[in-house]
Amino acid sequence: MADNIIEIRDMKVKYGVHEAVHGVCMDIAEGAITAIIGSNGAGKTTIINALSGTVRREGEIHYKGKPLTPKAHRVVHEGIVQVPEGRRIFPGLSVEENLLLGAYTIRDRKLIEKLLKDQFRIFPRLEERRKQDAGTLSGGEQQMLAISRGLMSNPRVLMLDEPSLGLAPVIVDDVFKHIQRIRDEGVTVILVEQNAKKSLCTCDYSYVIENGRKVMEGKGQDLLRNDEVNRVYLGADRDCQWDPMQDTPQ
Amino acid sequence: MSIQLLISGISLGAVYALVAVGFAVVFSVMKFSNFAHGGMISACAYAAFYFQRAFTPPPPIYITILFSAAFGVLLSLVIDTIAYRRLRTKQSPNIYYFLASITMSILIVNFLTIFYGKNLYAFPPIFSSTTFHIGSIRFSSMDTLILLISLGILAILVFFIDKTRVGLAIRSVAINPQVSKLMGINPDVTIMTVFAIAGALAGISGVLLAMKLSVYPTLGSQMMIKGFVASVIGGLGSLSGAIIAAIFLGIFEIFLTFYLGSLSTPIVLFGAMLVFLAVRPSGIAGRFAQEKV
Ligand SMILES: Nc1ncnc2c1ncn2[C@@H]1O[C@H](COP(=O)(O)OP(=O)(O)O)[C@@H](O)[C@H]1O
Ligand SMILES: [Mg+2]
Repeated sequence: MADNIIEIRDMKVKYGVHEAVHGVCMDIAEGAITAIIGSNGAGKTTIINALSGTVRREGEIHYKGKPLTPKAHRVVHEGIVQVPEGRRIFPGLSVEENLLLGAYTIRDRKLIEKLLKDQFRIFPRLEERRKQDAGTLSGGEQQMLAISRGLMSNPRVLMLDEPSLGLAPVIVDDVFKHIQRIRDEGVTVILVEQNAKKSLCTCDYSYVIENGRKVMEGKGQDLLRNDEVNRVYLGADRDCQWDPMQDTPQ
Repeated sequence: MSIQLLISGISLGAVYALVAVGFAVVFSVMKFSNFAHGGMISACAYAAFYFQRAFTPPPPIYITILFSAAFGVLLSLVIDTIAYRRLRTKQSPNIYYFLASITMSILIVNFLTIFYGKNLYAFPPIFSSTTFHIGSIRFSSMDTLILLISLGILAILVFFIDKTRVGLAIRSVAINPQVSKLMGINPDVTIMTVFAIAGALAGISGVLLAMKLSVYPTLGSQMMIKGFVASVIGGLGSLSGAIIAAIFLGIFEIFLTFYLGSLSTPIVLFGAMLVFLAVRPSGIAGRFAQEKV
């Protein structure tokens, strides 16, 4: 298995006096999908915001063997990009301008052109609407735009916060397929989800977070078979009827 | 007759537009009306006046404009540093910015009054003849020069905001500074850029107003009120709205002054603003401005 691109050691996050994440340790394997699952309010968003540098943290984060900068905009320049919960595209700007903002850290115009073409190839929808106000897109289209905007920075690590939230089931399947395709192209993915089952079917490795603590970890397939995980997150239904690998090209 | 009036009105409106846009660009990102802008315009007018007089023969006008713009950038960044930056780090409510900006404006005007008195200083003439003719129509050299410079600067600004990478970053920070960070943008740098732009605009409009009117401590504050009216009518924070509103305001004012006299004109102008606010509070640019608040 590949090396760890990110190592999180004893990380704590406080909101005022209230501590939301209590000393978490995690390893993120390079080129893999690592899922972070857990119920609402568990601290998943807080963990990736701490990685992004948008909240203050204690403890250590090593990225490619070196301490990771705590400054949010620098983190993006280093190659770690977050696609935030609720998509957060820029309304009032066109689809194309949203994508160009994703490429803000890139100075090479040819590379930006290439990345833009890549996004349009994967989502022709976005090309059809490139001049349209991004705020007028449907929820599913906005999610595609948000992921594409993240990819426009040509990231080493892409963090996705609840990408399936509020989307119709067919579109959710598309999103998860797309996430695997991103991994297959060599990008390390950190996937935060409440949709535990699909995440465990999709990911290579997973952490389970509850009340700001890591309560379990393991390979996706192993956790799917774990009784505790089944009881709390999956209910009786423990098979991967939906197998994303069937649909992935190659 | 009315062609000259129209040119003169558009010329006045174009200067208002420079003022209004300096206002609007700060409002769009910071969500507060930077009343220090008026003080900056006055200070820049004095700086340009003394710069112009310091050399014999006086430097060409474009050098003075460049100097004044640079002075404005510096002054604007200093004001940001001493008046606003701490409010930003503390995430203070808007009323603090309002107070800080009014205070800065009053301070600047008082400093200028202490050092230079309330006298009017006439800007050295830059044209040998105050008018020129095309065919049978007579044009004011000053109005025409001011019009060309203002429109040129506005065009550059609109291009910069709409078409460049930094302009796009400014628009994204105006919409959402937190998400902009996730794009790799440093909002602190963007905000400083915005203050630098506002300062440059204050510097340029300071010279133009000094040439057109003369130099006195409240020059900027008077003009700022017009710029403020234009940026409100245009839809706070909208550049194109502010430009359009300012130019109409200039034309309106010149014609009103011609037909009603300079005493009743302000009453009509402010009356029009009140009506506009009642009828269409989001301004000409409507939708755009709503997103920002
Ligand atoms: N900005 C904030 N200020 C104060 N408390 C917060 C803030 N964001 C999250 N929290 C709290 O931190 C805990 C974890 O939240 P979050 O990381 O958003 O959970 P999740 O993403 O797993 O649903 C919750 O108790 C939440 O109320
Ligand atoms: Mg969350």
